[in-house]
Amino acid sequence: MWKRALMAVLGLAFLGLAGAQAQQAPTLTIWADEVRAPVLQQVATTFTNETGVNVQIELVPFGDIRPKFITSGPTGTPDLIIGPHDWVGELVANGLLEPLALGRLREDFVESALEGFTVGGRLYGLPYATEAIALIYNKDLVPTPPATFDELVSIAKRLTDPEKGQYGFLHNVWGPDPYHSFPYVTAYGGYIFGKDAQGRLNPCDVGLERGAPAYQLLLSLTDQGLVPRATGYGEMASTFEAGKAGMIVTGPWQIKSIRDKGINVGVAKLPLIEGRVPRPFVGAQGFMVNSSGANKPAALTFLFNFIATTGIMVDLFRRDPRPPAFKPALDDSAVRADPTLAVFVASVADGIPMPNIPQMSAVWGAWSDAITQIADKQATPQQALADAVTRIKASLQCPP
Amino acid sequence: MPSPASKRRSSARHKSTGEGIGLTDSLPTSLMIALLFKIIFLSVADSLGVWAAGTLAWQRNWGLLSALLVGLTLLNLALLSRRAYPLRYLLPGLVLFAAMTFYPIVYTINIAFTNYGTGHLMSKEEAISWYERRYYQPEEGETFSFQAFKDEQGQLKLLLTSQKTGRAYLAEGARLLPISLPDPRPSNWRSLSRSELVQALAALQQLELLYGEEDVVRMATLTEFAVFRPQYHYDRAHDLLTDLETGKIYRPIRGTFVSEEGEELLPGFYEYIGLENFYRIFSNPQITGPFLRVFQWTFLWATLSVLLTFALGLTLAIFLNDPYLKARRLYRSLLIIPYAIPGFISILVWAGLLNADFGIVNRILEDLLGLRLPWLNDPFWGKVALLLVNLWLGYPYMMIVSLGALQSIQPELYEAAYVDGASRWQQFRHVTFPILMISVAPLLIGSFAFNFNNFNVIYLLTGGGPPIAGAQTPAGATDILISYTYKLAFAGRQGAEYGFAAAITILIFLIVGTISAINFRLSRRLEKMGEAL
Repeated sequence: MWKRALMAVLGLAFLGLAGAQAQQAPTLTIWADEVRAPVLQQVATTFTNETGVNVQIELVPFGDIRPKFITSGPTGTPDLIIGPHDWVGELVANGLLEPLALGRLREDFVESALEGFTVGGRLYGLPYATEAIALIYNKDLVPTPPATFDELVSIAKRLTDPEKGQYGFLHNVWGPDPYHSFPYVTAYGGYIFGKDAQGRLNPCDVGLERGAPAYQLLLSLTDQGLVPRATGYGEMASTFEAGKAGMIVTGPWQIKSIRDKGINVGVAKLPLIEGRVPRPFVGAQGFMVNSSGANKPAALTFLFNFIATTGIMVDLFRRDPRPPAFKPALDDSAVRADPTLAVFVASVADGIPMPNIPQMSAVWGAWSDAITQIADKQATPQQALADAVTRIKASLQCPP
Repeated sequence: MPSPASKRRSSARHKSTGEGIGLTDSLPTSLMIALLFKIIFLSVADSLGVWAAGTLAWQRNWGLLSALLVGLTLLNLALLSRRAYPLRYLLPGLVLFAAMTFYPIVYTINIAFTNYGTGHLMSKEEAISWYERRYYQPEEGETFSFQAFKDEQGQLKLLLTSQKTGRAYLAEGARLLPISLPDPRPSNWRSLSRSELVQALAALQQLELLYGEEDVVRMATLTEFAVFRPQYHYDRAHDLLTDLETGKIYRPIRGTFVSEEGEELLPGFYEYIGLENFYRIFSNPQITGPFLRVFQWTFLWATLSVLLTFALGLTLAIFLNDPYLKARRLYRSLLIIPYAIPGFISILVWAGLLNADFGIVNRILEDLLGLRLPWLNDPFWGKVALLLVNLWLGYPYMMIVSLGALQSIQPELYEAAYVDGASRWQQFRHVTFPILMISVAPLLIGSFAFNFNNFNVIYLLTGGGPPIAGAQTPAGATDILISYTYKLAFAGRQGAEYGFAAAITILIFLIVGTISAINFRLSRRLEKMGEAL
């Protein structure tokens, strides 16, 4: 009790000080990467004009934001960072993020984006965009997208001609790319982490093995010469952009580059596999508040009253064309003008948020190794995934 | 060369300073200036040091403080005492040694006995004060609009109006004073302009006003104050943390606050956990299982890397050392190129060249020999690829070293051997090689130690892969100890586990240290032979 009283007295002393002499005006510091920083510059100017509080946007390379924030966050700088939701687990584990109470504003956000930024029942980020992969097709080669996976295979068979370097369907699942192969796994009931009674992820409930038939299916495509073993992300994207692939599976981030190459591109939901909906990983991008920041009131005002507005959300969409996580922005005509958007939004709605807990780092490596072994036929899908699950559980020190 | 003018000036200074202090009369000008510099330097260094010592003592950073004091004493000793004169040449090296080698070793050993890592980055004190600073806004919590004023004395005053009850309060000290509006006071005060308000914001954002028993009123957004309730209470006497919202009690167990039901709170704190990290290495079959296999390959990798690079480097050096070879400089420059390109780039380029399906190496092999080798996807060929790339990266160093050593061999020795009728091979076998080894052997040991921990090549070329079928651990077929450590400590469980990584690092250090000690003992024989020459 005395401690808080002391702090209050200290606060008052500061108050007196502020009255007596001009004190340094606070500056809101934001770390953003080269894509987001320019958009924020505008809203920062508006914020400064309306509130008088200065905003400093520091350009930090995307990959550096998280490690640098872990070091400098506890000293109070920056006040805000922008990043994907899967950083949240590690940052919260280190006590770096301030929980946000959205109140009524909550209804304006896409639920899966909020879920992505939630750890232990608390929200730690204000999402602005979501993303999930979908089927991307060349309208000149594939006039109507397949509704089922069987249709997809028959189209792929018709179009594939390796001699000419032409493929009906390319997907970089053997990359090894767990992220891109996840929808197939879910279609057979596979999952990464199950949930406990309170709806929290349980890292000791790993359900990858159930996805074994998915890899059997993909393997049969490869054996028929439809999806080459060596297809990496780069090969998939460049073949499609050269007009030599009928269909690929990837996310909204690739659309601009595809259009720039003059491809008549269409986007459709992933086709049903044996009547079941494949569920891709949902990623979310958003703003996170430093728990040690001195300017939390200013930071929250910036987020709730300036970022969470249709104008800014549409601006962010123009710069970084991923489906907005802010529902009013989804109804904006500028956003609706993009025909691919509705499909990606539907794909997000089908999807499952990528787990944000730190235990996820144990999953990626084991899962990738399992995919490599399946592709190289060193183990059956069942065996390889069972090994991966054992490995994950052992490294997370789960009870056997 | 000093100009005549400066000479005149310095002699004039000598005269003027010499007058005052009798002692310096006997000193020549240059020494005088040196002394002056010394005194200025020392006084600046000492005052900075004392200032830093004060700050460190305030922060209770005893480790750094004692290091600073020892360093400062040594510095004074070195510059002031005649007997400690040699110290002034040793000191810079010693300081660098302490900062770059000794301190990291001590630090690594220290954290090997802790659980330092993701979720355990704070000390216990820091974690507790972090929890004590956590507040939450109760569901039905009140919010206040506020107005800031300056009173007659120019003091900042705050008027809060509850948006729930409509009551008004005046911030007085650390408390909220209920007032009934219209109150005469605010009418005499001057409302703050916006720029004044922004100036006062730093203070406003830190303000905590007591409200009721436990609650405080703090600034929530730029336009609102709100009631906040402390989330946790730490009971120092019983070392218990209580969540005031849920009533759950947490006790600290190994760096984590854990509730009765086993629920863990984040963040935790770092704590000494004794030998647990080492115990985990030796007791976990997941780790010990592949350890021997990984160790064997690491040893083989380091040995073969040294032998191959040295063999190629020495061969090239002998050719380049031949005075009859034309355009030697050109060849030498060309051959050093792999050494000049940053490894990070060239290793990634090699990974592309060796790609089994699209790589140019396989395309050439296929055209010439009809072969397609699974360079990076097969345990054996992965190892071959690693050794080849490391050979490409490493031979220039060996070539440069050997070239230098070759040039130091006296030509008379070859003449004598020639007179004795020795063949070229015998000359190499009995003259060149033994003399070369005297200077090169320690470098080979260094190269061995370097390759033993050559993380870059492994990580960037194969990533330790391909994975081993049926393996229950992250160790791939080409993982060496250090890349295996990386997988275990940073990609294994839940973020970074620095304490665990430090424990494995100490073991690797012991292994490399032992091997190097044995090697040095063996190479000492060569040195003895060198002395005989």
